Amino acid sequence: MIRYTLTRFALLLLGLLVASVLIFVTLRVLPGDIAHLIAGVGSTPEQQDAIRERLGLGRPLPEQYLTWIGGLFRGDLGTSLLTGTSVVDELAEKAEVTVPLGILSLTVAVVISVPLGVLSAMRRGRAAGTGLSVGAQTLAAVPVVWAGMMLVVVFAVWLGWLPAQGFPRSGWSDPWAALRSLILPALTIGIVEGAMLLRFVRSATLQAVGQDFVRTAAAKGLTRDQALIRHGLPVVGLSVITVLGLQVAGIIVGAVVIEQLFSLPGIGRMLVADVAARDLPKVQGELLALTGFVLIVGFVVDLVHRVIDPRQREAP
Amino acid sequence: MLRRTALAAASLLAAGLLVLSACSGGGGSSAPTTPGEPDPDASVAIRLVLEPSNLDIRETAGSALDQILVDNIYQGLVARTPEQDIVPALASDWTVSPDGVTYTFTLREGVTFHDGQELTPQDVVWSLTTRRDSPQWRDSARLANVTSITAEGQDITLTLSEPDSSLLWNLTGRAGIVLKEGDTVDYKTKTNGTGPFVLTQWRQGDSITFERNDAYWGEASGAAEIVFDYIPDNQAALNAALAGEVDVVTGFDANLKEQVEQDGDFALVLGRSTDKGTLAFNQTSGPLADKRVRQAIRQAIDHDAIIEALASGQTQYGPIPELDPGYEELSDVAPYDPEAAKELLTEAGYEDDLELTLTIPNFYSTTIPQILVSDLDEVGITLEVDSVDFTTWLTDVYTNHDYDLSFVLHTEARDFENWANPDYYFTYDNAEVQELYAQSLAATDESEAADLLEKAARIVSEDAAADWLYNGASVVAIGRNVVGMPTINVNERLNAAEIAQSNG
Repeated sequence: MIRYTLTRFALLLLGLLVASVLIFVTLRVLPGDIAHLIAGVGSTPEQQDAIRERLGLGRPLPEQYLTWIGGLFRGDLGTSLLTGTSVVDELAEKAEVTVPLGILSLTVAVVISVPLGVLSAMRRGRAAGTGLSVGAQTLAAVPVVWAGMMLVVVFAVWLGWLPAQGFPRSGWSDPWAALRSLILPALTIGIVEGAMLLRFVRSATLQAVGQDFVRTAAAKGLTRDQALIRHGLPVVGLSVITVLGLQVAGIIVGAVVIEQLFSLPGIGRMLVADVAARDLPKVQGELLALTGFVLIVGFVVDLVHRVIDPRQREAP
Repeated sequence: MLRRTALAAASLLAAGLLVLSACSGGGGSSAPTTPGEPDPDASVAIRLVLEPSNLDIRETAGSALDQILVDNIYQGLVARTPEQDIVPALASDWTVSPDGVTYTFTLREGVTFHDGQELTPQDVVWSLTTRRDSPQWRDSARLANVTSITAEGQDITLTLSEPDSSLLWNLTGRAGIVLKEGDTVDYKTKTNGTGPFVLTQWRQGDSITFERNDAYWGEASGAAEIVFDYIPDNQAALNAALAGEVDVVTGFDANLKEQVEQDGDFALVLGRSTDKGTLAFNQTSGPLADKRVRQAIRQAIDHDAIIEALASGQTQYGPIPELDPGYEELSDVAPYDPEAAKELLTEAGYEDDLELTLTIPNFYSTTIPQILVSDLDEVGITLEVDSVDFTTWLTDVYTNHDYDLSFVLHTEARDFENWANPDYYFTYDNAEVQELYAQSLAATDESEAADLLEKAARIVSEDAAADWLYNGASVVAIGRNVVGMPTINVNERLNAAEIAQSNG
């Protein structure tokens, strides 16, 4: 187990290193540069050059890369060229919105998909099961943006129960107000992600029903449903955890779209704005942090899996 | 049980669809409230579209900074009204010598900066001198022919090498901003000015909040707090308005008039503006170097259809909009006439085989490119649309002049100088226009200066130096209980000092 953990950790570090190079190079390929944006319309090439020089954009790329990586070891992700604020501070501030949004979305997705997925598997061949499965297919195909619009129209504009957009300027000092502004965005992401997850849970459950140990338990006098719930569901749970790890990346992508749609000051919206402004030091710090987060989730999921699942322990 | 849930879900979906369709019709309308007594403690939320990338008024370009920081936070010796008149600000009055080279301003006394420091005549001298001598500061070149800036008591004297009829106007913008000498404020994220508002919070990607400056030298602002909410999407802005989350919506889409007015809480106002939807032609080489091709493109475009599609604005057939000095109605220069356009193209040797690319920043709606593609297709020009982000546009089009056609909404007032600058991305180089513009600058009489601009503008239009697709309107939806909201040229300047809100 220790050897496995160490190997897996080395793999995580390697992944981060490769990601850092990829991110750095890809961003340098983007057309346009921040000096043009700051100098703007009405500027001369000389003015643009002066700004570029002052921002240190003229330094050789390998040198810029090494400076950045060097900073990482001191916990410094870099500094914004536009505002001079540290990327770590900015991420921390925006995480106040995006992290709760992600957790809420994930919760909504799980709450929708697990019970309904199991149910639709158990009621397979009956109207309810078919209805659920068709409903999930339909919902999974709904564009996130449209789902969000629908929810806003009903709950914000029509009923006036929830805010249509934005986040309280006082942040979480008024927890209820902050939470309310995240409900509709989280529902939007959660319903769409949950519908996808539902189909997965359903097929995992159907597989479990066919497993030998469930059939054995049923033969010992439990009903099929009881056997499934007692012996099959833990196996389903395992598969769901794995998929949830993958869903994290999906939720981050969803957050980028949803934060634009709902004007939420989160990481997704910040990323889009920073790319548009070519604030490259900031963007590369943000992207590396997000990549690192996804990789770490994968690492943890793998370890948990190995601890829980007896079948994997013997594997090298 | 489950069957019932599925049914419920289905009926909810159906209900949702009904709601959506009902939304396009009229909603329940309450009687509009008449403004009562203004509430001195009111906080007014205003929707804006473009957020500044940082707050550095010294060197960061962009109308997003001017729009909210000039007048509200930072001031100059003089200011401009929405009607585009020049009025006193930090100077209580000024005189201009008859030969037009000496300007003397009387600085107000008792003015303080937001951090409590006093405004001195030396601050003004330092600000203007530093602006002139720091090329990386915005609009530095506008003070190029100011040879000396001195102070004696409260009098500030500017001496010019030659008359400049645009000097006062320039002083109402970035060139004239007065900062505290030696100030240590972090200009990128903080501010320190003399205006009626103090910056209290900037939540990046969300909002900027101003509070009334209680130590302001002039009349106190109508509202205690102004919140600028940055909501890029028009539909989200509409929802925010209908849900009562914003009191004013600027930069709006006039096609949403019925929807925003449905509850009677908002009224849509179309103010005039100097926004010019400019279709630039790269005329350095290739087909667009041929005036007949440029003229053909102008005559192939149905400008009235554009105004109709935007549901706002008006046509404009030359470089100068109606609000600016030197405006003339020039529709006779390039009337809509696809047949004439075809003939011109045939004459120029491009019959049915001209392919051009339009480079357009991606924050503009697709309405304009769609109309252009179909109008030009009518006369045998294939137009490919290349939608890029603004930074890419700045590099490719603005700096490298690497484009065929480009569309940008130029909002700046009195910006005719670009047509007299052969290095500008318009790539228009005409000695006569440059001469007329120089004469207009040197004129000491306002109406003479305007006449010269008018002459130059006609030449620019007759040369088909570009096409002006429309003169945009300031589309603003204003809450019924809000008064004092400016409606002219709001994309460029939004002076919030007189905005007030009643409890109605």
